[in-house]
Amino acid sequence: MTTVLFGLVLRAAVVLLGTALVTFALLWHAPGDPALAIALARYQVVVPDAVRDQVRAEAGFDAGFWTAFSAWLGPILTGDFGQSSVTGRDVWPDLLVAISHTAPLALAGLAIGLLISVPLALLATRNPGGLLDRGAVALASIGAAVPQYWLGLLLILLFAEHLSWLPAMGARTSMHMVLPALTLGLAVSASLTRILRSGIQEARGRPFLPAFRRRGVSGSALERDHVARHAAVPVITVFGLELAFLLEGAVMVEIIFARPGLGSFLVSAIEARDFPKVQAVVIVSVALFVTVNLMIDVLYRLIDPRIGEPHA
Amino acid sequence: MLKVRDITVQRGTKPVLHDISLSLTPGATLAVVGESGAGKSTLLAAILGLTTCSIGEITWDDAPVRSCRPALVMQEPRSAFNPVLSLRHSVLEPIVARKAALDQGRLNRLCAGLELSPNLLARRPGEVSIGQAQRVGILRALIARPPLVLFDEPLSALDAVTQKHTARLIADLQDEEGFAALIVTHDLGYAAAHADEIAVLRAGRIEESGAARDCILAPKTAYGRTLRDAAFALGSLERVA
Amino acid sequence: MRSVGVLAAIFIALALLGPSIAPHDPTAINIPARLSPPSATWWLGTDALGRDILSRLLHGARWSLGLAFIVSVIGLCMGTLAGLVAALGGKYADWIVMRATDTFLSFPDLVAAVVIAGVLGAGTGSLIFALCVTGWMRYARVARGIGLSLRSRGYVVQARLAGLSPLSIARWHYLPALLPSLTVVWTGMFARAILGISALGFLGFGVQPPTPEWGTMLLDARIHMRSTPLQMIWPGLAVVTCVLAINLVGDALRDALAH
Repeated sequence: MTTVLFGLVLRAAVVLLGTALVTFALLWHAPGDPALAIALARYQVVVPDAVRDQVRAEAGFDAGFWTAFSAWLGPILTGDFGQSSVTGRDVWPDLLVAISHTAPLALAGLAIGLLISVPLALLATRNPGGLLDRGAVALASIGAAVPQYWLGLLLILLFAEHLSWLPAMGARTSMHMVLPALTLGLAVSASLTRILRSGIQEARGRPFLPAFRRRGVSGSALERDHVARHAAVPVITVFGLELAFLLEGAVMVEIIFARPGLGSFLVSAIEARDFPKVQAVVIVSVALFVTVNLMIDVLYRLIDPRIGEPHA
Repeated sequence: MLKVRDITVQRGTKPVLHDISLSLTPGATLAVVGESGAGKSTLLAAILGLTTCSIGEITWDDAPVRSCRPALVMQEPRSAFNPVLSLRHSVLEPIVARKAALDQGRLNRLCAGLELSPNLLARRPGEVSIGQAQRVGILRALIARPPLVLFDEPLSALDAVTQKHTARLIADLQDEEGFAALIVTHDLGYAAAHADEIAVLRAGRIEESGAARDCILAPKTAYGRTLRDAAFALGSLERVA
Repeated sequence: MRSVGVLAAIFIALALLGPSIAPHDPTAINIPARLSPPSATWWLGTDALGRDILSRLLHGARWSLGLAFIVSVIGLCMGTLAGLVAALGGKYADWIVMRATDTFLSFPDLVAAVVIAGVLGAGTGSLIFALCVTGWMRYARVARGIGLSLRSRGYVVQARLAGLSPLSIARWHYLPALLPSLTVVWTGMFARAILGISALGFLGFGVQPPTPEWGTMLLDARIHMRSTPLQMIWPGLAVVTCVLAINLVGDALRDALAH
């Protein structure tokens, strides 16, 4: 078992290294002169060549690819993401601030999504093939087709403009989080419902269940131990997959609702060619994914050592 | 001629075949007999070059055996053909692969010899009977005139009547074409009827080998006798005086 | 199944014929008529520059649907190739391709696409690049799985024994077996590409104005949300209907495959 776990951790490490390499390579090959863009953003005027060269040297663009890569990677492993090319401030604290705005939104969105999808999935599977079941599937299909930004705009139109019940832009009050979280939650609930529903159905239909019933294992114990455990597998997968969805959704929703957070952090960094910031966002989100996926893999092995690859 | 010299084949760290030695001359038939799990399929895979031998070598006329492009007739004819392609397409693959020209006359002759009507080949594998499919398999194996043909339980998917018939067709074609035949089978009766030599495989080793008649009438080992007696009991082998 | 096929046909027709049946020139600016509500002349009204929304929608189909089609097909080719290399190329090739797949799968879709499109400069080229680079992995996994199981199939062994070239083996024996499953994956990726292209367009990183693309149209509409809220409905509705139709086709295909 420990060899298996070690293998998983090793794999995750390799993947992380690969993503770091890809991220770095992308920004390295960005067209245009990044030094120029940085200088422009920093000094707000078109700068003479001497200044631009100085910026380039400072940012480390002069060195070769691999030297620059290892020079960049080293500090990252210790959590130092360098300084913003534009403001000169450390990236990490600003990134943390941005995350502190995004995380509550993502969690609120997840909560709303679960509030909608869990009861819906449970009700739907009570009578498989029935009206509620088919309705849930239809709703989930439509939900998966709706672009999140459109949903957000429609909600703004309805609740903020038309009815004036809720505020739309910015993050001044906690009421400001309602619409964004609702957008996120509705979007997430579509896929959550579908996956929960099929997970529960599969677990309910397992061949061993009638055998247990005949032996007198009671209904609720059955649900709890066996259905729950087998349903846990796809549910855990769901959380891993939905994390990606949540992150992207939060970024998109922040941009629509003009909230501070990772979304605006990323977009403004890209526009200003502030590579350390861009790299930081990408690395952090990737690291989050890989870690979550690793934990999911480990959890799978612990729940049921017989299971092989959990990926579809 | 085929020479298998002291080969050992491993799967992972476990040896599946130990110290196997065989030889086979053109026109002759060698039957490899044994229970399931004895290593018969591994032996075939090794001779075909699909598995490597950790020790020893397999040669045809002192060249690596793959150079003579041995053909294989599989046990289950249905999976031996791509279900979406016509039988004709599959049959001609060996010719196409060698970039050779098709000898239509030869194709017709072989079809006649296997009692296959030419328009049968236009059909798909799912549209013919198992017996027909197996005969098409033999056709494909022979089309490019290989000097060595391997048969993996060629009759077990067929019913009893078809078995005898197909076995005879194979034997007749061998007389005509002159190929060397290595037949893997668990059916001692088949081996007795059609093989020149028999090798008994057990747990990865050759228990005994020799002329077919001798193996049946006077098995040298206890295991050989067990096999023979079982075959008598099942009726697949008839007592010969 | 049939109704779903009809739907799909309608969309293909839309994408191909759209521009020809559009009543007006989508780029014709007509300031006096800007932001007009739906009328006989302009069935869905006009946008901020007086351009006919219906015509822009129809022309936009070429971009939102057509570009998505191209992106998903390129992804299909890249991913299938990678998957086959992994299945047929031996242990090292398999390991490398699988780690690459894991690596690219670890990038969140939208974030990666935004970063790529943003860094390489907004425009159609970087849009295609961004979506392809983030979209080939699912094909690779499926192709590898099927490829591995096919390797030991009887007729594949026979083809190898016959000495058939790897290219011919791939073409005659692997592709027919891969096509059904890959098509199902492709429908999902096609839908994803539609959503991705319009999302990036909405964020300003995708197709650039004045090209009518449903996402950028939404971006325009958002600015005038107060005065002409209706304008926001149409592009979004177009995206939803197309994606829904494609997902339904995909589901029907998957069900058909399972039988």
